[in-house]
Amino acid sequence: MPPTVPTLQSTVPVTQPAIPQRPFGRHHDVTISALGFGGHHLGDAPDEQTAVRLVHEAVDAGITFFDNCWEYRRGKTETLMGKGLAGLRDRVFLMTKVCTHGREARLGLEMLGESLRRLRTDHLDLWQVHGVCFENDPELFIRPNGAAEALLKAKRDGMVRFVGFTGHKDPAIHLAMLATGFPFDSVQMPLNAFDASFRSFETQVLPELVKRGIAPLGMKPLGGHGDPILEGVVTAEEALRYAMSLPVATTITGIDKLDVLYQNIGIAQNFQPMSPSEMQALRDRVRPDAADGHFELYKLSLKFDNPEARLAHGFPIDDQQSEVKDMLKATANTGHPFPPIQ
Amino acid sequence: MTVSRRAFMKGLAAGAAGLTTPAMVFGEGAHSPAATVPHRPMGKTGLDVSIIGLGGFHLGSARDQPTANDIVARALDAGINFFDNAWDYHDGLSETRLGDALAGKRDRAIVMTKVCTHGRDAKVAMQMLDESLRRLRTDHIDVWQIHEVIYDNDPDLIFAPGGAAEALVQAKQQGKVRFVGFTGHKDPSIHLRMLERGFPFDTVQMPLNCLDATFRSFEQHVLPEANRRGLAVFGMKSLGGSGEIVKYGAATPDEALRYAMSLPVATTISGMESPDVLAQNLAIATSFTPMTGDEMRALRERCRPLAADGRFELFKTTKIYDGAVGRQQHHFPPPEKLPA
Repeated sequence: MPPTVPTLQSTVPVTQPAIPQRPFGRHHDVTISALGFGGHHLGDAPDEQTAVRLVHEAVDAGITFFDNCWEYRRGKTETLMGKGLAGLRDRVFLMTKVCTHGREARLGLEMLGESLRRLRTDHLDLWQVHGVCFENDPELFIRPNGAAEALLKAKRDGMVRFVGFTGHKDPAIHLAMLATGFPFDSVQMPLNAFDASFRSFETQVLPELVKRGIAPLGMKPLGGHGDPILEGVVTAEEALRYAMSLPVATTITGIDKLDVLYQNIGIAQNFQPMSPSEMQALRDRVRPDAADGHFELYKLSLKFDNPEARLAHGFPIDDQQSEVKDMLKATANTGHPFPPIQ
Repeated sequence: MTVSRRAFMKGLAAGAAGLTTPAMVFGEGAHSPAATVPHRPMGKTGLDVSIIGLGGFHLGSARDQPTANDIVARALDAGINFFDNAWDYHDGLSETRLGDALAGKRDRAIVMTKVCTHGRDAKVAMQMLDESLRRLRTDHIDVWQIHEVIYDNDPDLIFAPGGAAEALVQAKQQGKVRFVGFTGHKDPSIHLRMLERGFPFDTVQMPLNCLDATFRSFEQHVLPEANRRGLAVFGMKSLGGSGEIVKYGAATPDEALRYAMSLPVATTISGMESPDVLAQNLAIATSFTPMTGDEMRALRERCRPLAADGRFELFKTTKIYDGAVGRQQHHFPPPEKLPA
């Protein structure tokens, strides 16, 4: 298929202010957009044409940070993003994730080859270890022949510029990853007003990253699936502004429709950081709703586990359990053993 | 107590009974009648407590009152002097059963019960205390603990002006309770925030088992701090809450219970709903020798890969063990509206 020529007719008026750009951690010469384009939701776009258009319009509006992952929708979202970025690769900071889930470096490098092919590029700006969610993940990562070695080799060979990790489960696991001493460039984590008072990445992990010059990448600014917004506890604008007002390099948010894209672009273009007292007021307001984690089920529920990761760890998958059914449904996974790399 | 938890516990108890093999049950005479359960100092309270305590929830699951009487009498005779309970276990039945079973024997027992304000004020707590005293047929509780401190805002609610912490002070002043503490099964960080308040707790209760050691660990994070402060520590869920550790083969009952009892705790509370289970626990407790540091480390390492996703410690990872009343009092959606 011949590369499509990007059409860059934006419906966003050019007179709008630009989306803020921020330094990427200790690498001050590298900047990324304060709003990041979440790759998973690209798979929710109604068709390929819309997905490509979302990418085009996002780039045109000044979003430079693009998130993705080897295992999202079995590679579909990397393929869509690759199509959308054809001819625009140089204008963006492209990140994808590797899904070894505790397995060896060799597998990680095979996944990298696939990701590069799907994304139609010869290098990534950022390559992160995906789904660091289990208590023994840090030791599996750093063990001889673990994924840490793949990160170093990919960087040495010029296939990736920077490396990091991500996870949504528990700040203690993130801290244990940092304690391995591996030279991470970035760390991704859930950051929102609810997180601030429940198993908090904001209070436990974020200050440590800032101290070490590691670029913090926020995700789940709306609680993962927007539940607190649907239930009227916070507005989308409050939630996104709160997350973007933290000392993060970017806030990654899912974009599956043009109106969501325009709404997010509008918030980002007009972004004014919340004052510390505004942030405190919002934290205090949502604190009673935050304390059992029901708006942050990714920290609690098996539903947000990844069946592939469970299988890779040798953890059982009880497909009679309702949460496990949801988990399998969410990842469009059949519960069969991990498929071989093609 | 929630219907869902009761139903759940009952189901698991039945399942566990089905899995009990003859080798697991120590009949009468399996241990010498002279053998008694060793005692340890209970923190700074000046009391000595048996290394194993009788869990109150399961007393309410026992077949009937005569069975409960039998369990309590045999436990006392074997040297168990610690009796756990809670205001809301089986809607009061557990307290009533213990009160009846201890009639005439009250002085031989350290009676602990828990208050279930779930964030409500000191007045509610004092009413619950009077009910507990009536049901337990006594004029004082030895240890009174705040139950189910499991939500991240619980320390705020307990220490708010007029909160449950004030009831602990008041009850002590009135001589209705001798010592006070708190308990919870969810997250070490919540326990630590309770301790950081500097309140003069005498006791603290927490899950302690060979899987906890490497997953959201109370053993690593809370136990040293509680010991440093001289609190009496009560371990619970030595078998994973409903026997999961044993049922799924992570450890034998003997290994699991010995591990828990080898930690620097005052006592390990264990549910015993039948004389058979009591006999099994007595056999382990009367012949107890602490595991060596190496033995404990080996067991922790063996269990580590099984512990890392929390599936055998569902009290930390799911809502199954969280009472519906507590959720309601916190204005959280009911358990059935959430994933497990």
